[in-house]
Amino acid sequence: MNEPSVEQAVHKPWYRRELFVFIVGSVIIALVLVAVSTALYTSSGASLLDLSRPGYKSVQGEVKQTDSFEAFSSDGPVDRATLDKFQQLYQQQIQSVSSSSGFDGTALSDQSLSIDEPASQ
Amino acid sequence: MKSRLKRGLLLTLVAVFFVASPTFAQAGPTMTDTHIARVRANCQAALITLEQIHANDAPAYINRNQTYFSISDKLMARLNSRLTLNRYDATQLVRTASDYNTELTKFRAVYKTYDNAMTDALKTNCKKEPANFYERVSAAREARLSVKESVDQLTTLLVQYQQQVKQFQEKHFSDQVEAKR
Repeated sequence: MNEPSVEQAVHKPWYRRELFVFIVGSVIIALVLVAVSTALYTSSGASLLDLSRPGYKSVQGEVKQTDSFEAFSSDGPVDRATLDKFQQLYQQQIQSVSSSSGFDGTALSDQSLSIDEPASQ
Repeated sequence: MKSRLKRGLLLTLVAVFFVASPTFAQAGPTMTDTHIARVRANCQAALITLEQIHANDAPAYINRNQTYFSISDKLMARLNSRLTLNRYDATQLVRTASDYNTELTKFRAVYKTYDNAMTDALKTNCKKEPANFYERVSAAREARLSVKESVDQLTTLLVQYQQQVKQFQEKHFSDQVEAKR
């Protein structure tokens, strides 16, 4: 009496509902994981280091690809020669960041963008 | 009766606060019509310039961030460790290195703020919203100034560390000190 009719069994097989839930569930889980990873990618600052983003292809070559940084040894004796060697390495490295004035404020001035208020006549 | 009066007064205060708030938000220099027209007329060229600046800043940031980190990780920390292992007092150097690392973290944070401000300015439809565009460019300029300040502070700390190493060297390994040994 309670058994499904033949027609019902053909149109609604036993696995149909479970398969649908499984697919929808998988899609929802994938979307949540993508949202979480995108949020992490943005919030961690990793996106700022990623030049494969659209609009940055032209400047990809400007990034130093190899790390030519010579490290100072953290163990061993300390004498004048050691400190001279350190000073030499240090000077070599700070030169690249001290010599150029980074993020100059004038680049975004109203005048350089030609969006300053016109002089009143 | 009294409680009703109090409630009425409180509601009035809340209403005044909400009504008055937008007035505070809108406070600031207002743009003249000629200024708005100028922004609208030149904004396409300004957008191109902004895009170029934004694109050029990315490798500059990456290179600087990499160098700053390497100086801390491969030079400062190692020298501090070596001096401490050899039982020298490296307190000043450790303090400067710590200040430098704090500033480096700040540099990354302010650059992120600047990048977001630039992205906001670039996304604005400057033809339709010239005042909004101008405001966002101003915000980006302020943020860029903070980045510049952080870069200057990092440079100061780098020089300070170098001078302290020199002082340490003079104190422990000058000709007079070596002659006494």
